[in-house]
Amino acid sequence: MGKSLWLWRIGFLAVPLSVYTVVVVAPLLYSFYYSLTDWNGFSPNYNFVGLDNFQRIFRDPLFSNAIENTVIWMIAAIIIPTGGGLFLALMLHEGVRLANLYKSLFYFPISLSLAVIGQVWIWIYQPRWGLLNVVLREVGLGQYARAWLAKADSALPAVIAAWSWQQIGLAMVIFLAGLTAVPTELTEAAQIDGANRRQSLRYVVIPMLRPASIVVIALAVINSLKSFDVVYVMTKGGPFHSSDTLAMFMYNECFQKYYMGYGSASAVVLFLIALVVVAFYFVWQMRAMETIYE
Amino acid sequence: MRRRLFLSVLTTLVLALGVVAPVAGQGDVKQVTLLHYFSGELGFDALSQIFNNFKASHPDYIVLTNPVGHEEFKTQILIMLAGDEPPDIFSYWAGARVQFVVDAGRLAPIDDLWESAGLDAVLPPAIVSGATIYNGQHYLVPFGYHYAGMFYNKQVFADAGITELPQTWDQFLEVCEKLKAAGVAPIALGSKNRWPAQFWFDYLLLRTAGPEYRADLMAGRASYTDPQVVRVMELWKELVDKGYFYPDANAYDWTDAGDLVAVGEAGMTLMGTWLTGYWDGTVGLVPGEDYDVFPFPVIDEGVPDAVVGPVDGWVLTAKAKHAEAAKELMAFLLTDTESQAIWAKGQGALAPNINVDTAIYSPVMIKALDIVKAADTFAFNYDLATTPPMAEGGLDMFARFMDDPSGYETYLQDTENVAKEVFGK
Repeated sequence: MGKSLWLWRIGFLAVPLSVYTVVVVAPLLYSFYYSLTDWNGFSPNYNFVGLDNFQRIFRDPLFSNAIENTVIWMIAAIIIPTGGGLFLALMLHEGVRLANLYKSLFYFPISLSLAVIGQVWIWIYQPRWGLLNVVLREVGLGQYARAWLAKADSALPAVIAAWSWQQIGLAMVIFLAGLTAVPTELTEAAQIDGANRRQSLRYVVIPMLRPASIVVIALAVINSLKSFDVVYVMTKGGPFHSSDTLAMFMYNECFQKYYMGYGSASAVVLFLIALVVVAFYFVWQMRAMETIYE
Repeated sequence: MRRRLFLSVLTTLVLALGVVAPVAGQGDVKQVTLLHYFSGELGFDALSQIFNNFKASHPDYIVLTNPVGHEEFKTQILIMLAGDEPPDIFSYWAGARVQFVVDAGRLAPIDDLWESAGLDAVLPPAIVSGATIYNGQHYLVPFGYHYAGMFYNKQVFADAGITELPQTWDQFLEVCEKLKAAGVAPIALGSKNRWPAQFWFDYLLLRTAGPEYRADLMAGRASYTDPQVVRVMELWKELVDKGYFYPDANAYDWTDAGDLVAVGEAGMTLMGTWLTGYWDGTVGLVPGEDYDVFPFPVIDEGVPDAVVGPVDGWVLTAKAKHAEAAKELMAFLLTDTESQAIWAKGQGALAPNINVDTAIYSPVMIKALDIVKAADTFAFNYDLATTPPMAEGGLDMFARFMDDPSGYETYLQDTENVAKEVFGK
């Protein structure tokens, strides 16, 4: 029995592991391999160029621009969806009327693909008849109306705003789940000890939400590192690379310029950055869990 | 019990795979697989009709087509070729892009087909030499081509008191001034996807420095900081500075620019003849009545006349599994005048086959055809004339320029830096 159970375990594990190897591990190794070549994507022939691609990448202004934008995205992702989601969750948890309706409404964007969201926000940002400019003109702020996605200084924030609109709902749901896990005994005890609502929120509820915050922030960071679809749909990284992210840079180098080797090198760099972030998050999470359950 | 479950899962899987297999090898039916980017408004219906006609006249053939969006196509074909699972034939843009794939060894020459089908006899010589031959061999069968010209709203021009179409640069500036005085934006440009701006660069360069210099620049033998290119940007900048362009060009697509002209908020737009397909079909304008076309004005006397446009064609992959059947289809798509006519009408294209009756064309398309015939040179537009990584750099420059033309000298320097990297200068 013991032996056949092991066979079953291995058998079942083999299926996901082989899929994982084919769709994740192998392409990853290929990227490492191609990052050392000058492959153009079309040709069956290519040369090994050693670390040339990596030397070039750190001199490339478009790459540093993409790094900068990705960092901006990451910071925004930590602040906006987390803050907004926490705020909504606290409000709805307080027992607002029709709370379930609001919960569904705020969660609704998660069920849409980012391509659809991007298209909807393109209409919102449309300079002539888009919702945003029309509202601005109606309330007398017409001087702020602009071609949001066509200007280098507003394209990136505009795309991040569209993306955050979806992410806030996700953060809200995770925080709501976290809130239901806060024992009412604790908040009641705090009230008996004379804490007002603000104090009980600050010293009891929010610390208890730490596991939920960790999940939300980790998701935000990881999603910001791979931000591509919404950028591709809304601006393709434009105008003139002002909304390029690392993933967009990678796509442009590989599939627009046909620098497959060079694009692979940028993929490797992105992978290393993600690795550092994930390692950092992992250590932090382990520590956080220890302090909570001690 | 467990073993039986395992076995039944296994047999189901094997059976499921078995169902798929027989479709692939069906006796003596000749099959052709084909990938193309003519989806949606770019002629999908017309192409379906053409394939139906092919099936009707070639009952033993099966054409498996796969339409992909214009932008997604560039990625899709790359993946299929690199994965050694290419379609037999695919649609592609003549010029630097075909050259790129030819140089990568992914395409098969079709000189034998050229001879046997007598393709030289049905094509204008300029198209044969310019679009079909790469490294001395024939690779591409032209399917349709386009001409980029100045499409204008006749009513708007008449309302602004414009009685004669501009032939020189000074006359063109006058026309712009009149339109502006009449309260419409003289020129609409939708450069959100960058490429629509390239026709301005192309024509300004061709009308001043001429086709030979342009060919040098496209091949990396000239520099983006040359006085010839600086002059182009200065001429272009004058138009922007005078407020002749509809504002925020980078916020709009080419169809938006077409809409602006169609509703009379702008006077004209420099665009390819596919605009007529959009205007006639989707918007419902009447060619020759609502709109017309004129060639880009002469700037410097004595420069050879050139027209700009892309040529769409079919190429055969080096690893095509059904090469002979595929060649039969390629020849049909060019030599069958009915298919050529359906295509020209459906997509708003010009038919490369010279035997196509010009009666199929709208008056505007006939004018476009005459302009092309009268020109000394047919030049590919920028992103098809220069190699793809260079084209990316140039297209970026055009979008940047339309956002703020004042920094053109910096943009040219940046573009030249890209050129140095691309051409290894």
